[in-house]
Amino acid sequence: MNTERRTLIGLLALLCAAAVTEARIKLVALPERAATVIRLDNPNATLIEEERVLTLQKGLNKVDFSWKGVQIDEDSIRLQMLDHPAEVTLLSVSYPPGEAALVWEINSAGDFAEKVRISYLLRNIDRLITYKAVANKPETLVDLKSYLILRNFSGEDFAKARVLLDYGAAFEQGINHEETKQMLFVNEPNVPIRKVWKFDAALLPWDPEQLNNQNVGIPVSYEIANNQKAGLGEFALWGGKARLFQQDGHGGTIFLGEDNAALVPVGEKMELYIGDSRDIVVTQRKMRDAQVNLRKNNSGQVVLYDTDELITAKIENFKDSPAVLTMVQHIPGQWDMEQCNFKYTKKDAYTLQFEIELPARTEKGPAVKELTMHYHRRNVRSDAPPAPGSPPMPLGRR
Amino acid sequence: MKRRILLSIISLMACVTAFAKVDLTTLPTRDTVQLTIYNSTDLTLVRESRALTLKTGANALQFSWENTLIDPTSLEMLPKAHADRIEIAELVYPPRVKNLGLWNIQSQVNGPVPVQITYLTSGLSWRAFYMGTLAQDEKTMRLQAYVRVANSSGEDYENAQVRLIVGQVHLLDQIAELAGRQYPYGRPGEVAPPGQPMSAPAPAVREQVAELATRLEDFAAKPKEIVKEGLSEYFLYTIEGTETIPHGWSKRLQSFDIDGVPVVNLYKFEEERYGSNVSRFLSFTNDQAHQLGQTPLPDGSLTVYRSADEQKHLSYEGQSSFKYIPVNEEVELDLGPVADVVVEPNLIETRTDNYRFDNDRNISGWDEIQVFAVHVRNTRDVPVKVEITRNFPSPYWDLARNGDVGAFEKVDLDTVTFTVELPPRSKQSFGYTLTTYQGVRAEDWSKTAR
Repeated sequence: MNTERRTLIGLLALLCAAAVTEARIKLVALPERAATVIRLDNPNATLIEEERVLTLQKGLNKVDFSWKGVQIDEDSIRLQMLDHPAEVTLLSVSYPPGEAALVWEINSAGDFAEKVRISYLLRNIDRLITYKAVANKPETLVDLKSYLILRNFSGEDFAKARVLLDYGAAFEQGINHEETKQMLFVNEPNVPIRKVWKFDAALLPWDPEQLNNQNVGIPVSYEIANNQKAGLGEFALWGGKARLFQQDGHGGTIFLGEDNAALVPVGEKMELYIGDSRDIVVTQRKMRDAQVNLRKNNSGQVVLYDTDELITAKIENFKDSPAVLTMVQHIPGQWDMEQCNFKYTKKDAYTLQFEIELPARTEKGPAVKELTMHYHRRNVRSDAPPAPGSPPMPLGRR
Repeated sequence: MKRRILLSIISLMACVTAFAKVDLTTLPTRDTVQLTIYNSTDLTLVRESRALTLKTGANALQFSWENTLIDPTSLEMLPKAHADRIEIAELVYPPRVKNLGLWNIQSQVNGPVPVQITYLTSGLSWRAFYMGTLAQDEKTMRLQAYVRVANSSGEDYENAQVRLIVGQVHLLDQIAELAGRQYPYGRPGEVAPPGQPMSAPAPAVREQVAELATRLEDFAAKPKEIVKEGLSEYFLYTIEGTETIPHGWSKRLQSFDIDGVPVVNLYKFEEERYGSNVSRFLSFTNDQAHQLGQTPLPDGSLTVYRSADEQKHLSYEGQSSFKYIPVNEEVELDLGPVADVVVEPNLIETRTDNYRFDNDRNISGWDEIQVFAVHVRNTRDVPVKVEITRNFPSPYWDLARNGDVGAFEKVDLDTVTFTVELPPRSKQSFGYTLTTYQGVRAEDWSKTAR
């Protein structure tokens, strides 16, 4: 079973003083690992802690630790005495040339079977997190599962180890070199979700009619709150690939889409973009863009002006269910709103957010709402670069 | 036909590394299989049920998928009975073996257990296409919709329930790429290719599908019913009964066949978009008044024919690709440029007026006045509707129309559309005068036009 193990530890119980000049003596003893811990709490590096028992003799001892074929960060290797920390002292660490190995010089005050803990950062062993969420048919709840994926390409086999994450209890798991294991570690049914449709005027084309035979999909996301109300909130949800499914009402599911979840601290929301709705159509147009309140220099050139701008956005819901569309509009610089027929919140100086409630379509046709924004940009300098305020994509003739 | 997905149970004692030496004891066959195929991307959700025979204690279930396009990270198994007494502890992708997964199961059940296995695969695809047949008077159209399902997944799916999804799914990785990985989740430190939404099946698959399309005879026997329902942002088409689609084959099925859809012969003229020719459109609405409106129409291509005579001979009218049409939305199908409807906008007069001067007596503003005469001719033997769109070089303008045209619609700040309807073999003319305001005259316009 252990023939694949590549990390070797050798104990050189030598009393020799002239260690500097002598040729290195190869291993004489192979103390077994007593307990191994794989710590995966930091996403950037994996820490291995292993305990071994060294048989030390009084005086100077040399212990050889080698890791051929295993990718250990050699500067990260630490040795900790557990039984007699005051009497057993690490004197020096030396690295033989051309070898993945080191030699510890240890001074022992007596003959001890000393339990030590060796820790090091091991490359190419890590964990991933994936999520699988199955929504109910009305898309109000999901059954949320999270899987831990252990990947070991470190060159080292771990027959048995305690695996520690940054939360939850440690568990026993063995994993061999080049092995990948997938384990279920969160299974939370009936987690509330909120479905969000979002039109951002800076990201999506304004006028679908100008696009030949292309639909403008309105991005659809699910929001999951990492809090106790949702049955979560015990720990931060790690980032990873999330796949979303929905019950189809016939005992099966359909696949809705997938997204990369970011790390979600407790109390925050996970937002997962699943796909695009083509049943909500936004047609936005600029109906007026004039310079007003012109101020001129002595040569009669306009140096400062305001604008008079009118934007309309027709929102059509072709769905047979109601929806709330989050619409984001952008007005650069200094501005004031003369008239707007929907309430908005200012997300920042230049960003307006509307929550537009759309009823379901009826037999007569789609549910239609029309947003009108009549605003003025103030004190625009003629030498300033033109402000954005047009669709983000070239639309035919523009 | 050699089935390529194998499932086997190993009576497992302890050692995972030695699993390859254990003889396979059972090969449970697939009882049912359901395929949910997407059209916006190369993706299929496969759901199969099998009956396992478990022993009390530790069981290992080996699943292999040599020569298929399965995404191994999507594999999931769920017991459909005794769920509380069966624990699926882990799924192991053993070292130095490709296309193989091993489920380690703790069972308190000794005997048969039905399970459901789901995974995503690449290589199955479907597309919608349409045939339109206009009546002789071009007032109505028979619309036949088809779906075509193709299998180049490497796996033969026999007696499968086939479901098709209409919708745009967000994907981070191509399923075909995931299927081809040496290690299902890659290696640590590997730079994963940037996730980007996919819009089309992998080119190789597409080519294969195209090849099939030319090689195979289409066989639409007795039309099966396709049940349609909405789910989330998608539409689900369930094909009645089961289908057997072996690897390499494709199948065409009729989605609907509706006669008498009222259509409008719409012609559009917009120099900046279509050039000097008129483009022909066929317009109808996906609603009940047009015998449609039950479900959205998935994107596809439409080939339009016309009944040429009483003997039901056909003439070819044109072809248009089709975007996704939600219920109640109006469709405008671009059949391309035509020569039998003509729009000629002629500039017949141009002048300037209302000059303004600054303090140095330089010109600071003026009006540009352009008079256009627009001649529209319908040489066809059916009535037509023509939309003429004009774009102006400035947002500061006024328009006066004259002649035989109804109201014009202001589309946006510098665009208007005139609409005229012409009887068969007729012509019509109208004129308009466009005044655009330059320099300080634009300021005057801004003050008065508010």
